[in-house]
Order: sequence, then C-alpha cells, then structure tokens
Amino acid sequence: MSYVKGLKCRECGREYPKEPLYVCEYCFGPLEAVYDYERIKKKLTKELIESRPENLWRYKELLPLDGEQTCGLNSGFTPLIRARNLEKALGVKELYIKDDSVCHPTLSFKDRVVSVALSKAKEFGFNTVACASTGNLANSVAAQAAVAGLKRYIFIPANLELGKVVGALIYNPILVAVEGNYDQVNRLCSEIATIYKWAFVNINIRPYYAEGSKTYGYEIAEQLGWKAPKHIIVPCAGGSLITKIWKGLKEFKALGLIDRLQTKIYAAQATGCSPIVTAIKENAEIIKPVKPNTIAKSLAIGNPADGVYALATVKETGGWAEDVSDDEIVEAIKLLAVTEGIFTETAGGVTLGVAKKLIEQGRIPKDESIVVSITGNGLKTQEAVVEKIGKPIKIKPNIAHFEESVKI
Amino acid sequence: MAKKMVHLVFPQRLIKKPVIYTMAKKYNVIPNIRRANITETVGEVTLELSGTKENLEKGRKYLERQDVKVEPIIGDIVE
Repeated sequence: MSYVKGLKCRECGREYPKEPLYVCEYCFGPLEAVYDYERIKKKLTKELIESRPENLWRYKELLPLDGEQTCGLNSGFTPLIRARNLEKALGVKELYIKDDSVCHPTLSFKDRVVSVALSKAKEFGFNTVACASTGNLANSVAAQAAVAGLKRYIFIPANLELGKVVGALIYNPILVAVEGNYDQVNRLCSEIATIYKWAFVNINIRPYYAEGSKTYGYEIAEQLGWKAPKHIIVPCAGGSLITKIWKGLKEFKALGLIDRLQTKIYAAQATGCSPIVTAIKENAEIIKPVKPNTIAKSLAIGNPADGVYALATVKETGGWAEDVSDDEIVEAIKLLAVTEGIFTETAGGVTLGVAKKLIEQGRIPKDESIVVSITGNGLKTQEAVVEKIGKPIKIKPNIAHFEESVKI
Repeated sequence: MAKKMVHLVFPQRLIKKPVIYTMAKKYNVIPNIRRANITETVGEVTLELSGTKENLEKGRKYLERQDVKVEPIIGDIVE
C-alpha cells in the first residue's frame, strides 16, 4: 500500500501526480515526493523497522514506491562505526563514520538512490534505464539494471580513461562515450532524456531517485539508538544528499521515531569545485556555477542542481561549510586508512578533511557527537593516492637482506 | 518551433543591461520568464526560450559571449 501522495514543486508548491516528471511546468522548479505522514505514523514504529531485514527497504513506507521494492534488495544498512582511533587523532570525544564505502553492490551511496530509482522505473513500466556518469552512478546503474533485466545506457565523456569505467563495463551496459567537453555531455544527455522514453535516473526519475538518500540519515539515527547526532559532515556534489539526510531526520522527528533533533549539518567540498561552500561562506542566495578542477571527481559538479537547497539546509540547521585542497584530501584519506582501516575515495577525503578543519576552527565542539559521511570506496580512485603512499621495500630472498633493509 | 528551458546566471556588471531582450530581438527568440532572483552581486533567471533550433543555439552562444552562464535547469547531470 502506497504512502506517497504525489509530487510537489519545491519552489511554488504546485502538486503533480505520481508520474515520471521532474520539473514544475509553471515555474520550472524541481519536484519532490510528498507522503501521507498521518498514515505512516500509524504504521511505522521502531519495532517494525527493527524486525525487518538489514537493508534500506526497512524504511519502505518513507520511500516513494506504490508497490514492493524490486531492486537493490541488499543495499543499505551500512556500518556506523565508533571511530575511537580517529577520535584520538582529532582530539574529540565522540566520532562516528557512516561507512557507505561498503554499500552493496557497487561500494558507494549511489546504490541507495539507484535501488529506489530502478524499483520506481520498473513500477512505471520502463524497460530501459540510463544515466550520465563518470563513476559511482554509472557503476550502480549498470549493476542493478543488469540484475533487474533492464536495458541500460551509460553516457560518459569520451576523454574519460577506460580504466575508470571498468566498474560499469563489467555489467555489460551500452556504454556511449560522447566527444566533447563536460558541458556538452550534460547538454546532450538532457536532450536525450527529453526525446527518448527512458528512465533517466537523475533526470525524469530524479524526484524518486533522490529520496533514496534519506535512508543514509535514517540509518544514522537508528544505529545511534534512535537518536540524531549533534553534527553531521556531508560531501556535496549536486547537493541532494545533504538535503535528503536532513529531510530524513526531520521525518523521523515528525513521526516520533527520534525525540529530539538539534543536528547541525555541514557541507564539504573540494576547493577546486566549491560553489555551495562559497555561497554559504559569502552568505549568498544564488549559487554561481564553476568549472571544476579537483582530484575529487565524484564531487566535481560545477552547477549543482540542488545547490540552493543544500545551502538552505546548512542555514536551517545552523551548520557551516568548508572546503579542502587536493593535498588535504589525500592527507585525510590516509588518516582514515591508518586510524580506522577504511580506504575511502576522494569524496571521503573531502568530508574528513573538512571535519578536521571545522574541529580545528572550533566550529564543531570537541565534546559533542559527530558523524562523518563516507560515501564511496578508495579502490575506485587509486590514482589519487598512488604516488603519495610510499613504495614497497624490495628485498632479496634471504634473512640478511631482510634485516638489512627493513627496520624492525 | 523548438523550446528550451534554461537557467541564466548574470554577473553583477550585466544585471542592469537588457541582455535577454537584445538576444530575443537579434535572433527572433521568444523568452518566457518563469522565475528570477537578483541580489547585489549576481542575478539568475529561469526561463523558456522558443524559436528555431538554429536561432536558439545562436541565442545561447550570444548570451555566453556576453558572459552570461547558460545552464540546463536540471543542473549538471553527469554525476
């Protein structure tokens, strides 16, 4: 039984039916799924959630499907780790890592949004799905669409190294390499999405797709013992994840699943692509698009679709924003690896680097609960660190040379 | 007649200039403004442009030459 009422424009509030629509035909504002919270409140309890399998569908009443889920059945419910070594390194009292670098099946938080997008696409009767991506999204759409038996088109810029798309190609999608710069790829894909009747996950399925990110926030609260933390640091690319984590926590509060909500949310970006952080620091209302130049490719979105909503989230919660250089990103990746044994991709380096900076600045107090969002796996972006982590010590196969070469 | 939904971002020095009007007149493009927001340092306008495909493309290039950022309303979709 569905708890989704329909879609609603985030700008003018006009309502729309549950269809593959993504933009308000009046003001061109983005559409968002709205729910019947009264009915959800009567059904969804902590006990019911806890009785369900450990995946993102344990919160299914708060996800925008009409029927049962059909994709991503094992995605989500990733570990929330108490990071005791990192606490010592940063001099803080209570720090957690929400670790989506181990999200199933393709090791990033995109498995959450794609699980919801493809389930919804199937519900709408689409037999073809598509996305434009240089990394995590491509991997997830290719893999999950393969499982679902959907035809899958993945668009990439032609100059992207093939090595980077192995994680998508292995699932045998139709991989289209578009010649042209990033802007031209963007423009072409939005045109293709209007011409072909496909489920383009982050275009015409976007209002549904984006809702999957809420589960990241739900899980944090549930795993903390049905409590919201005081501080969450979130990486920002298009700005959707940060707004949806906040939406998720507000829903939990409204449904009585958590008692208090005093969480401050912080936006993290790389200095080489920081349109959201810049707007927050300058107290601007408008996001100025930028040309990305950073090793954090998964966050390199110069014109963030949900930038203004990310900004609003930070303001509403009383959080802040910060950016880190490429060197700081690498240092943070290494710090997380040597303290907690987690190898994150560059986006995780951005989040932890920003968390460290905000703690040092005194923006985040050292004695309150902090959650650092780790959203992807370092094995996918090894080129970012390969020259900066030393080399193996080569020895001849005898004890003498071993003892001579290796300090013990 | 083709239609395009676009998001324009104006730098401060262009806020007071009739850039959209000039483009519309020059290339016979019909602008239909849906939303706008102007602050001290930057302006943004969300609008629909109608015209022939060629003229829409010429109009876009003209705006970009003036230093207006012309973006799809859905933002960057290559994630």
